[in-house]
Amino acid sequence: MKSLRMAKRHLPKFLESLGKWGKVYVPVKLGKNSYRWEEFDGEVDNIALDALRTVIPAKKFFYKPREVMFEYDKTNGYTQACAECEEDVILFGIHSCGIHSLETLDNIFAGKYVDNYYFTRRKNITIVGTSCMPDKHCFCKSMGADTVDEGYDIFLTDLGDDFLIGVGSSKGDDIVNDNPDIYEEVDESTTKRYLEFRNKRDESFELVLDTSDLPTILDFQYDNPLWDELGERCLACGSCSMVCPTCYCYNVDDTINLDSETGERWREWDCCLFRDHALVAGGHNFRENQGGRLKHRYLHKQQAYLGDFGRTACVGCGRCIVACPANIDYVECLKAMRGEMTSA
Amino acid sequence: MLSKQTVKLDPANNPYKPRLARIVSIKPQAPDHKLFQLRFEDRDYAESFCTRPGQFAELSIIGVGECPISISSPPTRKGIVEMCVRRTGRVTNALFDLPTNSMVGLRGPYGNGYPVEDMEGNDLLMIAGGLGMAPLRSLLWYALDNRARFNRVILLYGTRSPEDLLFREEFDDLITRADLECHVTVDKDPTGNWPYNVGVVTSLFDKVDNLNPDTTYAAICGPPVVYKFVIDQLLKLNFSKGRILMSLERMMKCGIGKCLHCSIGHKYTCLDGPIFTYWDAINLRESI
Amino acid sequence: MAKPSIGVYGLTGCAGCQLNIINCEDELLDIAAAVDIKSFIMAQTGNVECEIDIAFVEGAVSNEKQKKQLLDIRERAGLLVAIGTCASWGGVEAMINDVPREVAKKDVYGDTMKDNPFYDCFNPMPLKDVVKVDFQIVGCPIERPQFIQAVASLLNGNLPLLPTYALCTECKFKENECLLIEQDKFCLGPVTKAGCGARCPSNNIPCEGCRGPVFEANYASEVEIMLEKGYTKEYIAQQMSTFAGTISAEDLGARKLVKTDIP
Ligand SMILES: Cc1cc2nc3c(=O)[nH]c(=O)nc-3n(C[C@H](O)[C@H](O)[C@H](O)COP(=O)(O)OP(=O)(O)OC[C@H]3O[C@@H](n4cnc5c(N)ncnc54)[C@H](O)[C@@H]3O)c2cc1C
Ligand code: SF4
Ligand code: SF4
Ligand code: SF4
Ligand code: SF4
Ligand code: FES
Repeated sequence: MKSLRMAKRHLPKFLESLGKWGKVYVPVKLGKNSYRWEEFDGEVDNIALDALRTVIPAKKFFYKPREVMFEYDKTNGYTQACAECEEDVILFGIHSCGIHSLETLDNIFAGKYVDNYYFTRRKNITIVGTSCMPDKHCFCKSMGADTVDEGYDIFLTDLGDDFLIGVGSSKGDDIVNDNPDIYEEVDESTTKRYLEFRNKRDESFELVLDTSDLPTILDFQYDNPLWDELGERCLACGSCSMVCPTCYCYNVDDTINLDSETGERWREWDCCLFRDHALVAGGHNFRENQGGRLKHRYLHKQQAYLGDFGRTACVGCGRCIVACPANIDYVECLKAMRGEMTSA
Repeated sequence: MLSKQTVKLDPANNPYKPRLARIVSIKPQAPDHKLFQLRFEDRDYAESFCTRPGQFAELSIIGVGECPISISSPPTRKGIVEMCVRRTGRVTNALFDLPTNSMVGLRGPYGNGYPVEDMEGNDLLMIAGGLGMAPLRSLLWYALDNRARFNRVILLYGTRSPEDLLFREEFDDLITRADLECHVTVDKDPTGNWPYNVGVVTSLFDKVDNLNPDTTYAAICGPPVVYKFVIDQLLKLNFSKGRILMSLERMMKCGIGKCLHCSIGHKYTCLDGPIFTYWDAINLRESI
Repeated sequence: MAKPSIGVYGLTGCAGCQLNIINCEDELLDIAAAVDIKSFIMAQTGNVECEIDIAFVEGAVSNEKQKKQLLDIRERAGLLVAIGTCASWGGVEAMINDVPREVAKKDVYGDTMKDNPFYDCFNPMPLKDVVKVDFQIVGCPIERPQFIQAVASLLNGNLPLLPTYALCTECKFKENECLLIEQDKFCLGPVTKAGCGARCPSNNIPCEGCRGPVFEANYASEVEIMLEKGYTKEYIAQQMSTFAGTISAEDLGARKLVKTDIP
């Protein structure tokens, strides 16, 4: 793979040139302790390069929280709508877990039936990843999502005075070729510093979840009373799923205009912790209590999805842990299921 | 890693997009149950629309919403899609308000359908309770239209009362057919004019002689109580769990494995089902 | 086909919901064109109290006269839609329902107002405690887009689909910093029904729950969280009963299944 080196002072120029490929979005600081994806305002200082997790992950660029799928009228039926589908977007500052999470979504939206909405955007969105230093809620390493060797167009690794530039696609190559003077060849010192960075980062993970044999363990723990205890605490607020980069379920609803003729079919992010997720006509609910719904989220991620695609539907970003008002901790819960001592 | 380049995007082919279909006839069946005959507006598509018994389609009432409904017509009868619907909520209410000739949306067919290739050459035992006749009717007519491919074909059908019997106009013929062992029953007969059996659907087992569990596939569809009692009975008769087929119902939104509403364990009812063997079902938590 | 007829009525409330209907400027003409407004005392003259297809009723029921009026509306209306949090949950009026009415009346009016017709009142209650309610459009006041969407849906012959989840979900859509978690503020988002677009948290103000409870609001857990943050029981009870009056203090310890059969 093509690797280059770029001195940090060239970052403004780098970002400026990204603008030629579309609208650039970057993480910016929000409130006391949060971040969100916003359009780049041209000020490099406003980019939160140290942001680990935005409130809503980058999935919102590919798969909108609420979007119109079709416009309809009663005579001609349904016409596909895809607002912003064809827009060229560059995401600058997505981390390794985020890139892995896109693969998780790819698996779902591909297959026998291809989701046009998702993949049109996927095609039009350029991924410029950046390296990160884990905090106490990151456990991507346990989920095998701590490093990337593909899935990006460009990846920047912070090596102190400069960035190691990984070029991961032909589009990425176009981007670096546009500005040849800001890059230098990698040398021995780059390799050395890269290894130092790698080792330091590797050692920084505080949160570790042993996933070996987890599907079987969860099977045995199906009736563990902890599920219901956590269910008692869960507010079904939906935060954990909304912030999760690998949660993908959605609901569909039709709205009609006052003319009783035209309207729209929407889809909106949903959450299996909501009461009506498995509720069918006539009032039967296949997951009657909150403990069962909570369990569904965990089992789906660590067991069902894994069975289908050979990896978990969790990249260890820590968002759901941070976002739960009831302090329900994904890792603590799974550790408890493993029989490890915890405070969950 | 699944690379985004490998996905073929076909903007003209949006799997969520309902195609226009017209209601060509409406036949009232029982209180709050009607049989709708639908035909795709696009004639070529209507002719090429190819289903397997036991599959379903997503039916859209324009301006109201979408819901999954079994295809009751067999694949052997092309051009028309039949759906037997019970009025239960938003979408089905709106459907019941529509007159003949109205336009609806339809997309599908979805789901696995019955494993007819495996079933052929065997005896076929169909057991339906109430609206469970809707998906089984496609299998029934598939078997009757391909009669030579099956050995015995047996249908046991139970409803609550005589007025709840679906496809009544067909049953008078079905019961007299020589190539079908057809038995119907009602839980209660307030009319006193019911000429057939009275009792729960399992009571019809007495009417079927010499069931050979090794050469029979049993396809069951009905409310949960039906599953419970019928499966007990079949197990008593030494049916292997893999030869008992059930059609499971779940909340569905997309019908194509994206929205996760229909998940049971690691299976999607819309993709991997709705037809599951009893063996699958007992290995899927929360399935029954 | 005749246009569907509607009536808009106000019981005990601030008339803010009715005002919000009048304020639907862009759509008001379309609505007026689509329906026959038989009665809307706040907006027009020449009202007739006859059989109507849909009645929209604002406000809580707080005296015998209103109770009679509501029963009469129910009699005449095909569908009865509660508009606003007062009509749906009792709202601010029901905030002190745990104080005996006689004490409250004395506190407010003293002895001097005995002849005032408003003096003759009981604990304000939501419409559903008196009549069958077919649908609720909550909010204090209701959200205009939701009202329009609901009317459009009803005109098309179906009950509207409005969000059934908690405010936090909408707050996430807005990508707000969580005030409860990151700033330890008293936010009622987790137990409040979404639909306002998380208006308050989006402006850095915690949610006060003005849209009333979400289905299965987990009060017990919310109380637990707030106690841990150091809020007192009294404060918590007071805050929580501001808008969801009928589920006040004594219910706060339980995981409440708050929904009736009303969508
Ligand atoms: C594979 C399959 C086959 C079916 N076949 C038939 C059939 O042949 N005839 C028939 O009358 N009914 C059938 N049903 C049930 C039918 O889908 C529901 O009765 C219908 O969705 C109710 O929709 P509603 O809008 O009228 O009700 P509401 O209660 O208003 O439901 C709102 C929405 O929730 C979803 N939903 C609610 N209940 C169900 C459910 N049981 N299954 C799936 N989604 C649901 C739908 O998206 C529906 O539009 C089938 C269900 C499945 C899963
Ligand atoms: S489950 Fe939690 S930690 Fe895992 S990807 Fe989702 S939000 Fe991140
Ligand atoms: S964030 Fe916590 S309280 Fe909210 S739904 Fe998820 S687990 Fe439940
Ligand atoms: S600020 Fe309030 S509404 Fe928003 S997520 Fe936090 S608790 Fe929920
Ligand atoms: S955020 Fe809460 S208090 Fe504010 S408008 Fe919405 S429901 Fe009402
Ligand atoms: S119905 Fe959406 S995944 Fe099955």
